[in-house]
Amino acid sequence: MNRGETRVLLTGNHAVAWGARLARPKGAPVYPITPQTPVLELLTEFQARGEFDAEIITVESEHSVMSACIPASLAGVRVFTATASQGLLLMHELLHYAAGARAPIVMANVNRTVASPWAFWPDQTDSLAQRDTGWIQYYVESAQEALDTVLQAYRVAEAALLPAMINLDAFYVSHALEPVSIPAQASVDAYLPPFDPPHRLDPARPESWGNVVSQDMYCRHRQTAEEAMTRVPALAAEADREWAERTGRAWGVVERYRCDDATSVVVTMGSMCGSARAAVDALREEGVAAGLAKLRLFRPLPVAALRAALAGMRDVVVLDRNHSPGLGGVLHQELRAALYGMDRAPRVHGLLAGVGGVNVPPRRIADFVREAMQAEPRPESVWVR
Amino acid sequence: MSSKTPIAPTWTTGSTEVFKTGTWRAALPLHVHVPSPCHQACPVGGEIAEWIGHARQRDFRAAWEVLTQHNPFPAIAGRICHHPCEAACNRAGHDEALSICKLERFVGDAAIAQGWQFAAPAQELAGHVAVVGAGPAGLSAAYQLRRRGWRVSVYEASAEPGGLMRHGIPPYRLAREVLDAEIARLIALGVQIQCGAPLADAAQFARLRASHDAVFVATGAARVKRLPALDYRLPGVMDGAAWLAACNAGAPPALGPSVVVIGGGSAAMDAARSARRAGHAVTVLALESRAQMPAQRDEVDEALEEGIVLLDGAMLDDLQIDAQGLELRCTRVNFMPAANRGEFRVEPITGSDFSLRADAVLSCIGQDPELAPFGDVLPRRDSLVDVDPSTQSSGANGVWAGGDVASLARFVTEAIGMGQRAALAIHRQLAGEEAKAAPERAVVPLSAIATWYHEPARRASAPLLPVDERLASGAEVQLGLEVEQALAEGARCFSCGTCITCDNCVVVCPDLAVKRVGDGYEVLAEYCKGCGLCVRECPTGSMTMLEERR
Repeated sequence: MNRGETRVLLTGNHAVAWGARLARPKGAPVYPITPQTPVLELLTEFQARGEFDAEIITVESEHSVMSACIPASLAGVRVFTATASQGLLLMHELLHYAAGARAPIVMANVNRTVASPWAFWPDQTDSLAQRDTGWIQYYVESAQEALDTVLQAYRVAEAALLPAMINLDAFYVSHALEPVSIPAQASVDAYLPPFDPPHRLDPARPESWGNVVSQDMYCRHRQTAEEAMTRVPALAAEADREWAERTGRAWGVVERYRCDDATSVVVTMGSMCGSARAAVDALREEGVAAGLAKLRLFRPLPVAALRAALAGMRDVVVLDRNHSPGLGGVLHQELRAALYGMDRAPRVHGLLAGVGGVNVPPRRIADFVREAMQAEPRPESVWVR
Repeated sequence: MSSKTPIAPTWTTGSTEVFKTGTWRAALPLHVHVPSPCHQACPVGGEIAEWIGHARQRDFRAAWEVLTQHNPFPAIAGRICHHPCEAACNRAGHDEALSICKLERFVGDAAIAQGWQFAAPAQELAGHVAVVGAGPAGLSAAYQLRRRGWRVSVYEASAEPGGLMRHGIPPYRLAREVLDAEIARLIALGVQIQCGAPLADAAQFARLRASHDAVFVATGAARVKRLPALDYRLPGVMDGAAWLAACNAGAPPALGPSVVVIGGGSAAMDAARSARRAGHAVTVLALESRAQMPAQRDEVDEALEEGIVLLDGAMLDDLQIDAQGLELRCTRVNFMPAANRGEFRVEPITGSDFSLRADAVLSCIGQDPELAPFGDVLPRRDSLVDVDPSTQSSGANGVWAGGDVASLARFVTEAIGMGQRAALAIHRQLAGEEAKAAPERAVVPLSAIATWYHEPARRASAPLLPVDERLASGAEVQLGLEVEQALAEGARCFSCGTCITCDNCVVVCPDLAVKRVGDGYEVLAEYCKGCGLCVRECPTGSMTMLEERR
């Protein structure tokens, strides 16, 4: 079905830039960092060609990028930016600030190892280290999903008044060239109307953000942020459903792949889902009732959807391409918490697979599933290669 | 979402006053007025930081008013005080001690020049106090009692008031017009002084007690001590005190050209320097080494400048007379002071004997009080009347004593302090007041002063009269400060423990928790988080930290 879409070969980074272009932001403070730089390069090209009507602000650091994003967003305009790894870490305090100010900024983050030691491999520790900053977090598997998720994220962020981060793995997604369908601008405009918040920085009607508050006001403020987060899974599902109506592409909040009659399920995020799909297919060939539950929305953690998706499974194999020293895999522990107390809860096996960009081919994932089916689950995450 | 209702991210209390940072605190600063080291060292308990503060502002009248709360003789003390305040001065640890004594002289001289007088007593009280002796102790007591309204009669043996200040201290150290002016001011206040009225015997003392409500005995120490090695009947051998009194009265007795003065104290220096001015060649023979001599360093320095030869660490063994005059046979000694003031031991150095020739010998080895007129009414300790040092009370009903009769601290200002303490005790007794126990308060240490607010600056130095002029004219050796010098010196004062309302504490407080209230400061406990910046940045040590226990 051709809905006026254009099908082209794009890297994940360029797909993100296309998503940003189609969202028609008015502000784009940017700062280059490997492996994100192609995102802003393409945006500047779009702008040079008169196809991107945003103020591109080149500042001196990622900290300043976010410092510029926040007031721009509070002034009532749509804002986009992109970063990676060290750049995201440098933004850290402003990430809290943006969420507290309820500024619905959308930012792409290319997941890359954090220093030290110095490296450029795919690893999700950078964004998972920001999980408590109050940002919505998506993890995407492909270039197409990256483009579509930028647009869905604006829908969700602006409805909830929360900032949103779209995470794509370095190189596997950011630099891999894939066929991508670019939707028509008119279709996107209908899906994503201009941002027009009722409260904004406006000299005609003075209001200010980031003020002094009492303990009680602070506490209640956090409660309102939590209420907004609570609405996000439903908003995300709705945004995805409407997107599917326009484009035929639905990504879900938690995607269940061959899970209906499965007893052993792989749970992971980002590019590793592609390898896991191939592993599941191979296991099915062997007669193993395997499946994949892809977690697309990590924050807020869709606990109800996860419990529904994994109910009745015997073994859940969590693959973490991240490392939280002293805890292990972040997703492993979050999943254990999410499933805790379920009637006949699945056995959760946590594997630190692919940390630092180590390649995890489908053959190994199939091994992990078979081994997990024979082993007792351990409370701690296990290093695997 | 209504656009009229403030949304959560725009909520505000409107001010930072909600941050009750006081809850973080474990210690609270307190604005205090605490004693300075100079105040503690001062024999009269002078509020030195306070009067220097007035002087710094060019308000010399106010400075004089504060000075004279404790001492009626600032012009005298400003010349001859041994100034222990300067030895205690915190500024010495920064650059040089403040020249407090010279500043006091400046204020005292200004008062004389301007003819400032003491205010008449606010009321006349029905009580009559006798003061025996018009020296510094007696006149100080008379002043303090009179200004409180008591009738005071001072009975003086000599023909003129002043005691040791007149008979002992030469005019080149204390000009007589200064002495007379400061005494005249007491008389103007209503202190009655009867001169030529010595206390002859115990019966007279008993009559004095009976006819007055209180008696302050300040008869000094007029009985000279004598050296066993000296035959005082020989021509040319004389008590230094008698020599000095005659010189100070303007009639030095005729002596031969060369004079040896025996002694190491101020009296020996004065006798020697007076002899120089009478034209003699003078040698001082002191038991103590130069550093151990009880005379003040300035006096020794000035004496040497004036051509006096000092033989320190030397003892007279024997005196011979022949046709050529006197021969003093001496030995070098090591002088070893004992723990008690006035007690010592000497260790002759074998083979160090030598002899000196002289036409006259003046002995100045100290004086004891004459206690015979008090019979056994007053308690004694060694050669002195025994008193309670906090009140100068002798224990005998209605009798207080002070000055040299009751102390070996033979300094004019010590005597003034004793007179003051006695007067306060007498006042309380006559007025029926209870003694208020003053709380013991630690003095401000140098470490409490934010010294970086005090630019290093040299101590003021007053010029000395050139030696030839000194010997020719007999005029005052030490000259006073110029007004610019006095103001600059006043500005050097750290004002330890006496707030100068500079507002530093207000300015540096990160929580706006220090508030100026009149001439003081209040710390707002709700907001002070006890960081101590106000304490650290106080240039006068007037903020202190109190630990809080909850």
